[in-house]
Amino acid sequence: MLGIAIGIASITAILALSGGASRIVGNQIDALGGNIAVVRPGAPSNAVLNAGGQSPTQQQFASSTLTENDIDTIEEIPNITSVAPMMILSGAVKANKGTPVTTTIIASTPSLADTNNLTLREGQFLDPNLSPYTTVIGAQLSVDVFGTEDSIGKIITIRGQSFTIIGILKRDNNPINYNGVDFDSSAIISREAGRSLNQGALQIQQINLRSDSIATLDQVIIDTNKALLKNHFGEADFGVLSGDKIAEPTNRLFSVIAAATTAIAAISLLVGGIGIMNIMLVSVAERTREIGIRKALGASNADIVAQFLIESLALSIGGGIGGYVIGYILALGVSTFLPFDPVLTWGIALTAAVVSIVIGTLFGLYPAIRAARKDPIDALRQYD
Amino acid sequence: MAKITPTPVIVLKDLKKRFGLGDAEHYAIDGINLTIQKGEFIAIMGPSGCGKTTLLNILGLLDSKIEGDYELEDRSVATLSSRRQAHIRSQQIGFIFQSFNLITRMTVIENVALPLIYKGVTQTARLKQASAILHNFHLGEREYYMPHQLSGGQTQRVAIARALVNDPSIILADEPTGNLDSYASHIIMEELSDLHKRGNTIIMVTHNPRLTTYASRVITMLDGRIATDTQTPNRKSETGTKRPLGKKKRTKRKKEQTA
Repeated sequence: MLGIAIGIASITAILALSGGASRIVGNQIDALGGNIAVVRPGAPSNAVLNAGGQSPTQQQFASSTLTENDIDTIEEIPNITSVAPMMILSGAVKANKGTPVTTTIIASTPSLADTNNLTLREGQFLDPNLSPYTTVIGAQLSVDVFGTEDSIGKIITIRGQSFTIIGILKRDNNPINYNGVDFDSSAIISREAGRSLNQGALQIQQINLRSDSIATLDQVIIDTNKALLKNHFGEADFGVLSGDKIAEPTNRLFSVIAAATTAIAAISLLVGGIGIMNIMLVSVAERTREIGIRKALGASNADIVAQFLIESLALSIGGGIGGYVIGYILALGVSTFLPFDPVLTWGIALTAAVVSIVIGTLFGLYPAIRAARKDPIDALRQYD
Repeated sequence: MAKITPTPVIVLKDLKKRFGLGDAEHYAIDGINLTIQKGEFIAIMGPSGCGKTTLLNILGLLDSKIEGDYELEDRSVATLSSRRQAHIRSQQIGFIFQSFNLITRMTVIENVALPLIYKGVTQTARLKQASAILHNFHLGEREYYMPHQLSGGQTQRVAIARALVNDPSIILADEPTGNLDSYASHIIMEELSDLHKRGNTIIMVTHNPRLTTYASRVITMLDGRIATDTQTPNRKSETGTKRPLGKKKRTKRKKEQTA
């Protein structure tokens, strides 16, 4: 019963937490107004192949199929208010005499502030009229490099190139988001600067676009698909995603963690199930005489099986309910250290219920059949 | 007077029951031929170890590993499935055990209602029937006692009430009054007599020769065989009980007279 409780507890906690994690990404997209679409390189449905759960940044670093030409094409599509490419590099960033800090460098356009709802703590965002060697950095990066959030006007060296800091982003404490980057500790540079840092080629990992309203988003996605398909000579080596699909790569990471923890849960369930089987076998042995009496009074084998199955089910469901409560408390406890809350859905309750019923039946069956097979005379002769 | 109709309920042909193997082989029942008619009240007597209880277990379909033929209501028991046998036990046979065999973790009324579960009676109806029969046995106030809180006599009455609650047509009693004083014995025996008068077949194993006076037929066994088989027309229940069913208070007076 304890084993069942532990197993169900871990399943509940995992499901609640991973549910919470995927909800947070979903919520971000909703918070952005629901009119966001994302263009990513690679075929649109590779979820199964990529179940390994690498984040898109590293995976597609060297092989992006999106080009600068695509950005210009998308910009011409009607009903799109802003388009922002994201070229994600990683590199050492340092102040004049400081130690280098390895962080994320995003090369983009001024419209990134619009598509991603970035707000500035102070200063200004990228501006095409300024020198390309200006940068906007996250508050945390500022602290890491300069020891203060107040670093406007200072010079920062990114991959050996000096940039002037023109703006500091407001903290949003959202390390988990659909962009796969933590804006709090990244440096945003212009697209031109990004190109020159990467030997003249812009490797675009993602293009964020925003339509003028939710109603036109579907049409925008269709138009974007068509336009890009033409650009890519009919080869669908990109994907235009919206809504829940954007969150998928992030969810994939969690589903791998969930799968690993589920395996541990499965082991504890197995142990719990064997525990139940032992309890039931002892119970059957102790109550041999009762079985004999019941059979003498007219119980058929099926009646005896039913009786002991119900008992093992009571044990496993009892453990399941206990585990469900413990699991949720556990998830709540763990979530105080995480940037999201666990979610409690009927699906999780149903999973817990189904798992405990299956365990109860599976491991109760053998003792129950053993009980039913007992010879009534031998059973009655047992002294208790 | 019990109507002994010429319909045989139980027919045993050369019945044998063997225990052990090889050198330890031993026939507890060694070739019994017996026909029991519907409505008979049979007392089986004999020394310990002569196979009385074994015979009763076989008759009650608890022991099906037998040699020879056992026909219950014209059907050979060997051909019945275990499910069918359980059904017959539930519907037709009431078992009164030598050692009470109450389930100790259940209350008296739950114990008595137990056979009705397997008959498919609903919970409320079960408790009503069990309660009614317990009242008949003067145990109405003990319904929610646990078996260990009862005296030996009360426990045996509960066990008998349980055997009778599903209204069986064949009652198998293994020393039903073995643990009772003579007053309590008479209550039980009167109840069995009443059942007998209503046309039920009763087979009772006993050591007490006085109780055979209730029976219509006395069988004595010796070493797994039937030694004597006598009809006893002058049954005590016929001469002594000239009162309507259920009034058992006068039993005591009658007992004093006979004692």
